[in-house]
Amino acid sequence: MNPHDSDKLEAAIHGVLRRLPDRKAPAGFEGRVLAELARRAALPWWRKSFAHWPSFVRMGFVAGSAVAALALVYGLFALGGSRGALQVAGGISNSLAWIAFARDIVSTFDGKVRMLIAAVPPLWLYGAAGTVAICYAALAAIGAATYRAVTFARQTS
Amino acid sequence: MCKYQDMVFTTSVRLVRNEAQAEDISQEVFIKAHENFEMLSTSPSAGGWLKTVATNLSLNHLQRYRKRWKFFSEFGGDSGAEDSPPVEFAAPDTFFDAVDSDERRAWVEDALSKLPDHQRVPLVLYHFEEIPYDEIATRLGVSLAKVKTDILRARTALAKIMSRDDASFKMLAN
Repeated sequence: MNPHDSDKLEAAIHGVLRRLPDRKAPAGFEGRVLAELARRAALPWWRKSFAHWPSFVRMGFVAGSAVAALALVYGLFALGGSRGALQVAGGISNSLAWIAFARDIVSTFDGKVRMLIAAVPPLWLYGAAGTVAICYAALAAIGAATYRAVTFARQTS
Repeated sequence: MCKYQDMVFTTSVRLVRNEAQAEDISQEVFIKAHENFEMLSTSPSAGGWLKTVATNLSLNHLQRYRKRWKFFSEFGGDSGAEDSPPVEFAAPDTFFDAVDSDERRAWVEDALSKLPDHQRVPLVLYHFEEIPYDEIATRLGVSLAKVKTDILRARTALAKIMSRDDASFKMLAN
């Protein structure tokens, strides 16, 4: 399509589209909006968004949040410096001893896998990686083609 | 509200295509308008404000689904028009003479709704909302070149659909 045709097409489509009248809103739309406004207005303040809360509640909420944050920070520092904290940490460490055991098993398994991979010729590894990539791309292509076919069928039906 | 409800609904339904979703979006527009009633009640540009909010909410709605389906919907290029033969269409006035009946207007709306989202949305923003190409690109988060290509393809596809429907219409009429 040359630029002249393109301009002509643009003018034609623009003319057709701009002269289309507005579509009618569904019947009862106004009533639905008014009902929704009434429903929202009837909600208690604490079920509305923060901006609709009474100002003294908003200020109280901000002040309360600040106090809670300070108390939390202070509490964490106090807990970290106490003798009880060390006992708690020791208890947690004992109860999580199985993690160290699991780590040993994983590291042993990892070593065996590394040895196995080192024994496989690199060409086989590249081939396997390529096969996996091709399968993945094929799956994506089939999915996309199916989606487009279904969408096209729905649009033309 | 009666004055603007058709305009708001039309703006939304042309972008999202689904009437139920467009109705939900339109409702949200008027709820926002109610929240800004003091400002809008005295503003001469209330209609423009409503149209802008309807456009923005519709685009937000589309973006939510677009992220999910972007890959599949845009994969493999278009079934569209770039390589297809040029479309024969009548000159604008002649063409529109045939579009004056309600039935034919419905056909044009139907043809518009048959376009895929990535063509219809920029076309609607350009021709109905009169937003320039570069702003459409920014708002949709795509390149300027893609916007231009999509709009060109949309026009061609639209002309093709309308030509086909026009031929069917004439055949039925005879």
